[in-house]
Amino acid sequence: MSAINAALEIGSSRTVLAIGETQQDGRLKVICHSEIPSSGVRKSQVFDLDQVKKSILSVLRESEKKQLEVGSKITLGNAFLVVSGAHVRTTPLCGTTAVARQKVTQEEIDEVRRSLDSFSLPNNREALEVVERGYELDGMDEISDPKGMSGSVLKLHALLVDADANRIQDARTAADGAKLEIRDPLFAATCAADAVLEEYERQNGALVIDCGGGTTGYAVYLNGRLVTAGTIGIGGDHVTNDITHAFQTTWAQAEAIKVTQASAMPTVLPGESARVQMPGDSPLMESRTVSRRALNTVVNARLRELLTILREKLEEVELLHRLHAGAVLVGGGARMREFPALIAQVLGTSARMGRPIHVDGLDDTPDSERFAAIAGALLYAQRTYEEKSFFDLIRRVFR
Amino acid sequence: MNGDRSLLLMGIGGAGSAMARGVERAFGEEINSVLVDTDALSGDTGGRFVLLGGERLSGRGAGGDVVMAKVAAEDSIGALDEHLEGVRMAIVVTALGGGTGSAATLVVLKRLASLGIASIVFATTPFSFEGDERQRNSRSMQAMVEDAANASFILPLDGLVAGEDNMERALARAVDSMASGVTLFWRMLEKPGYIRFDAERLRRFISGAGRGRFATATAAGEGRAARAAEAIKAAISARPGGQIKSAVIGILAGDDLRLSEVGEIAESLRADIGALASFEVATVNDEATFSGRVAVVAMLFESSTDDVQRGGKAARHGKGAPRPKTSPLGVGPSGRGRFANSEPTIYNGEDLDIPTFVRQNITLDV
Repeated sequence: MSAINAALEIGSSRTVLAIGETQQDGRLKVICHSEIPSSGVRKSQVFDLDQVKKSILSVLRESEKKQLEVGSKITLGNAFLVVSGAHVRTTPLCGTTAVARQKVTQEEIDEVRRSLDSFSLPNNREALEVVERGYELDGMDEISDPKGMSGSVLKLHALLVDADANRIQDARTAADGAKLEIRDPLFAATCAADAVLEEYERQNGALVIDCGGGTTGYAVYLNGRLVTAGTIGIGGDHVTNDITHAFQTTWAQAEAIKVTQASAMPTVLPGESARVQMPGDSPLMESRTVSRRALNTVVNARLRELLTILREKLEEVELLHRLHAGAVLVGGGARMREFPALIAQVLGTSARMGRPIHVDGLDDTPDSERFAAIAGALLYAQRTYEEKSFFDLIRRVFR
Repeated sequence: MNGDRSLLLMGIGGAGSAMARGVERAFGEEINSVLVDTDALSGDTGGRFVLLGGERLSGRGAGGDVVMAKVAAEDSIGALDEHLEGVRMAIVVTALGGGTGSAATLVVLKRLASLGIASIVFATTPFSFEGDERQRNSRSMQAMVEDAANASFILPLDGLVAGEDNMERALARAVDSMASGVTLFWRMLEKPGYIRFDAERLRRFISGAGRGRFATATAAGEGRAARAAEAIKAAISARPGGQIKSAVIGILAGDDLRLSEVGEIAESLRADIGALASFEVATVNDEATFSGRVAVVAMLFESSTDDVQRGGKAARHGKGAPRPKTSPLGVGPSGRGRFANSEPTIYNGEDLDIPTFVRQNITLDV
């Protein structure tokens, strides 16, 4: 029997549950993914535990229905948690040790790695991951393996990704109420990177932009490693809210024309109608048309602002001009026409949509970039816990 | 004390308290008022005073820190309640940009709304030379204050004084200018007249008001009515905004006010403002204050009570408190919409939850 893991994402707009299974060739297959609209979550943070618990119960039921379609029945006991939100931050860490005999030994490498453990987080923060960024020996940095090299002071640079412990605990509490134990919390943007980036992109400098409903996460990889990550408090819901305000329409109408009609670029393309039909959805809101140019202008202003903030953050850490492999766009809020073109314009780098390429089972899923983060969480689970996940994660009954 | 206790004047923060004291001085009679500040010095002049964050800040003020002022206000907001008994409408004067004036105003407005008390805010924004942080604070709080108040008048300090004044005089004149405007407004509500516009009538009127423009003018001698009306029109055109949907014009004068003067002012302003959904005129007879003069108070709004009634959500603030709205769908004047009840996302002093095209003043041809 192959190993099976589950991952849960409680977003501002939708709650997603996916189950992955390792195939005989070692590749991960997503055997079931389910999503329902979220409630009780705002800006990626739980504000109504009961509502979130109900959302989790609903997505579990939805998952069971979908499993029946693929001929299996899995009762989930726990799941990895995909975390996003403005409370996620990164902190550079540095461990230091003296080199005793001018040549670095394995013991000294182990010692400098242990020194990172002495870094203590405040009680209200929880570590999501610690990524080694490279060694430094007497001022010479970006050393991948210092063993045997000559020098007197060895440093190890690392990047800590941490989040508000209370926000994670809220998600745990809601999941507990739905009889689902939460395992490791994982940052959405780095999970997505695991699922969508090719190795050469990680080496040459790649940016992953995970546009969610309430926030947008980002992660930059260079020389094969995560070098910076963070969150900006703007997501796809802000675009929808702007459309609602500009055209005095309902949320559902605004969301519909955002994903079907709106463009991230302000221009109206040849062949496109000058006006966009907005279907009526209630006695208050009758069917009508709005200017396509105005619609695009609203969307462009918001997304340009988001990308300008991102550009500023990348300039601060001197990474903007090192993105030789370009940007990769994922997430449920990414579904807007010409979004990659706007990224290319604002960040000055190539951009593409990020379909999960390191997992099977999502090829036929429309807009599969929406599932990049949760697919990446399953890859993490496979990589880290496969040995253990056999019995203690799930109980599976084959039909 | 004249007047009833259903109308309350509140001064918030150092500058807001100074302006409220200015109103009391100019009015010449005791006013139902309370000052609210994190700085204990604001309470030294006597009268009713609520110190915010007494334990946290020891009465030394918030030092311009918006977050600290907000926390302090939330600590102590319950102390305000004893001053709110019987109050149905509050006139709030404040200065945006600093710590207490910005953040505590928002906390107070939410408290008023939760108790069903209607609110009208008169807020100044900083002089353009006061620095980026104060400007950013002011911009980001302005939208939230407009959202939380039933009606609000935002008055840039730059527009209240002449650039040739020295600093001390400019600040004093700004406070006096604001206070005199609010005083005229207060007189309009408190003093008798042939066409009364008392606090209860105003309360109903502002239920759908939202963001407004406010102007006052006085004139004496021959042609005083025409000159006052022209001064109001000039003041309004100096602060352009959206289409006016409702207006209240108060005409304050002594015993010599003629019916033709009332008609002249009303018709002149009505023609200038355009076709209105609602146009109200009030007169105040106060010989002791306005002998030989006529003063005009104009309040113009970009929404009307009808807008709120169409939206059908006016009571969502509890206890039937009227609620500012420009949208029939609950987006609210600032456009925070779905994010209205969440902590603002502030970046470089801007509230990112407010639509970008609104903050960047992008005009849409919809």
